Amino acid sequence: MEKLQRINVKLYLSDADSLSSDEAFRVFNGWIAESGDEVLIDVADYSHVGRGPETILIGHEANYILDSDGGEAGLLYARKQDQSGDVQDRLRGALAAALRACRRLETEPELANKVSFRGGDIKVTANDRQLAPNTEEGERDLRAALEPVLDELFAGAQYAVERDVSNRERLNLRVRAKGDFSAEILLANLAS
Amino acid sequence: MSPSSWKEALADRIAGDLAEEIDIFETQIHLRKQGKIEEKLFAETRLRRGAYGQRYDNGQRNDGSKTQRLRYPDVPTKGPDTVWDAPGMMRIKIPFGGLNCEQMEVLADLAEEYSDEILHITTRQDIQLHYVHIDDTPDLMRRLAAVGITTREACGNSVRNITACPLSGICHTELFDVTPYAQATMRFLLGHEDCQDFGRKFKIAFSGCRHEACGLANMHDMGAVAAVRQVDGVQQRGFELYVGGGLGAVPHHAQLYSDFIPEEELLPTAQAIARVFARLGEKRNRNRARIKFLIAKIGIEEFRRLVEEERNILPPDPRWTAYLSDLSAYDEEPLKEAQPLNGAPQETDFVEWKRTNVYPQRQSGYSAATVALPLGDLTSRQMRQLASICGQYVKDTVRTTVEQNIVLRWVSDADLPQLYAALKVAGLGQPGAGTIVDITSCPGTDTCKLGIASSRGLAAELRKRLAIKSTQLDAAVEGLRIKISGCFNSCGQHHAADIGFYGNSRKINGITVPHFQVVLGGQWRENAGSFGLAMGAVPSKNIPDVVDRLAQRFIEERQKEESFQVYIQRIGKRDIKAMLDDLTLVPTFEENSWYYQDWGDTRAYTIDDLGKGECAGEVVSATVMEIASAEREVFEAQVALEDGQIDRATQSAYRAIVRSARALVREQYYDVPDNADAVVGEFRTRFFESELFSLQFANYFFTAHQEGTVGLDATAAHRRIEEAQLFIEGAYTCYDKIAAQPA
Repeated sequence: MEKLQRINVKLYLSDADSLSSDEAFRVFNGWIAESGDEVLIDVADYSHVGRGPETILIGHEANYILDSDGGEAGLLYARKQDQSGDVQDRLRGALAAALRACRRLETEPELANKVSFRGGDIKVTANDRQLAPNTEEGERDLRAALEPVLDELFAGAQYAVERDVSNRERLNLRVRAKGDFSAEILLANLAS
Repeated sequence: MSPSSWKEALADRIAGDLAEEIDIFETQIHLRKQGKIEEKLFAETRLRRGAYGQRYDNGQRNDGSKTQRLRYPDVPTKGPDTVWDAPGMMRIKIPFGGLNCEQMEVLADLAEEYSDEILHITTRQDIQLHYVHIDDTPDLMRRLAAVGITTREACGNSVRNITACPLSGICHTELFDVTPYAQATMRFLLGHEDCQDFGRKFKIAFSGCRHEACGLANMHDMGAVAAVRQVDGVQQRGFELYVGGGLGAVPHHAQLYSDFIPEEELLPTAQAIARVFARLGEKRNRNRARIKFLIAKIGIEEFRRLVEEERNILPPDPRWTAYLSDLSAYDEEPLKEAQPLNGAPQETDFVEWKRTNVYPQRQSGYSAATVALPLGDLTSRQMRQLASICGQYVKDTVRTTVEQNIVLRWVSDADLPQLYAALKVAGLGQPGAGTIVDITSCPGTDTCKLGIASSRGLAAELRKRLAIKSTQLDAAVEGLRIKISGCFNSCGQHHAADIGFYGNSRKINGITVPHFQVVLGGQWRENAGSFGLAMGAVPSKNIPDVVDRLAQRFIEERQKEESFQVYIQRIGKRDIKAMLDDLTLVPTFEENSWYYQDWGDTRAYTIDDLGKGECAGEVVSATVMEIASAEREVFEAQVALEDGQIDRATQSAYRAIVRSARALVREQYYDVPDNADAVVGEFRTRFFESELFSLQFANYFFTAHQEGTVGLDATAAHRRIEEAQLFIEGAYTCYDKIAAQPA
């Protein structure tokens, strides 16, 4: 677990229909032209497959995905390249990057304030079956690294953590916090 | 303590030599990063490992208004024009399309961990993962190797995936199951030393029947069609062997090498062919390096003589026949007992799915069910669900298809309703397999460096429109096949479709507009029995109307059971051109800017930097006019060919080439004499040697000039016309380049 680098974070749209794949395609293309420190490369349209990744902003360090896997639409941040620090730092980094992307979508002029995310509902996936198998031991290790970050994120509010134990799934934790949290507030909590 | 790397974890599951090959590749990546392996060499190395560059990976990307350089962290490249850190495509060979459940599970895992959670089935039964970082490729290869899959020689100048009919072994019309032969040929030629020095790729296909589409033997470098003969009262298996077929820019129909190669001679003959190709095939000019050019140059008789000579000196190899002693080892075991579908009334959607997607097998009580995949894509979750469904209903009898679908074989008929229900839950229950809705497309501009127009965008749009009216489609239209390529290289196999399209572009008042060339009347059956002819370029946004109009006219004018191919031949090009003429028009940008975007892309269309060139404005230059006239001459050549006037057709095609070449020369040398010799000389100096013009297309000019215009047969005339059309495409592109240069 200590070596884990590939971390996925998904946040869910408050209204599943508030962001279409066409809109995401246009917005993501705009992000490439205005990318800051990140290398953003391409946008892939998979809206025809129905369930799963619909529109993907491909990056060097990470992908940003309008994702409807499991019938739940949201923004999936998929970290691919190594981050510095220990696994807790990397989890914090991935959460922060995902929240920044959510915030960017929420404030995107083209989307006219219609997009918002349920900040209190987050799925974290260890996208590496070798380093982080979906086992009880894996869950214990991931929770140990993640919970201090979640305490910061939710500023001490209560939350529940649940794992999909199917052995075909990657190690994953679905986190549901008590109370309403916006992406903006969560970002501020992480920064403080 | 559990292993911390895939290399360690899978050490016991990968054959030693294969493990070593992957280790070597991993080392080569490190060495390349340190600049210790030359770029070009490494590019071929990674290609032979299946790692392919994607469209954006020259480090630049056009955002619709300008091209920007992407700021990759590292400077070095991973091969010519390909940046180290640019994620690329991984092509995974699936010989004859055969998959088992474990392999499907692993493929799903790999798509999740290294790619973008999408698996793409190709038109040659491969599976491709996109956006894979090269540093991840060794582990990806190890995980595949552990379940018996290789990416070796999936790309590069090598023997590519060996394809076969997905119904082999269960088909009603085959002579015998070709699966063991495809498998044996793949194993024998993979990494074979006689296959390491090709100038270009080499594609092989196997067919069990002559008259179905089957393995599409006619469009392969080597196509083997099952054959049997009686020798002393004993039936002997063998193959009709075809060589020199291929699509690409100018399609070549394969030529018959032998009407019967006994089964024990299959592998040595393939080896001898490989040797001849390696020794005599073109190496410097990639555009003439496929074996079809060698055979066209020396003739089939001389080629046959050379192969037989080579065959006679081959040192014997026990692998040639070892597999023949146990062909039954390749037999498939059904998971369930054969049970008939009970006669209970079924839901309408099941009935419709069964009608289009289920093929009753030769073996009574069993069927093959096709999972129709939109654009050949499925998610990693769907692949995993499909593996689970297969485990429940068919076990390990799964095949990918060249129509970018997946076939589940040996489904007990009684299970069909439950299978359908399970597929529906996974979002994989679409009907329409093998119908006009089931459109084949190459990746096109989405990810391919060569794509000119969005073949996937167009395919998605056509699929969407046709699916809405699929239940009302006339039976004659429902059975048509549409295939789309993003450029003239034909990866979407448009030549063999009833209705085919390939991407190109035109400038309208200085702004580039995506177009598709309409190619009609190709034949899918008879192993891709004949190729269609280009009918003219239509703006991309009008292509759905082209399909509607062709379908409507076919329904109205069809005579009895006339096929679309015969119908197209009967009404002729004049009528077709007249039918489509108004659809070739493009409104100005100000009138309708929609035409200036491609399907599935919200950015302004470009094949370079979007902008008005020097010729921008209302006045069309004399050069463009002259090239347009040449295009007209190509059309006349097609009509002449249709009327059986072969010499006239050849002459018109040649005149079209000379005319457009002269138009370009006049840009630089206004008073160039109006004779072909002078035009050839000036064109060679000014455009060929300076590489301003596509070298491949320029060679068409030189060859045509050398060969003359009299005495060609119909096939050669057909080819000359296709070459003329492509030369004209090249002339447009070249002119755009010249016009964009500063004065």
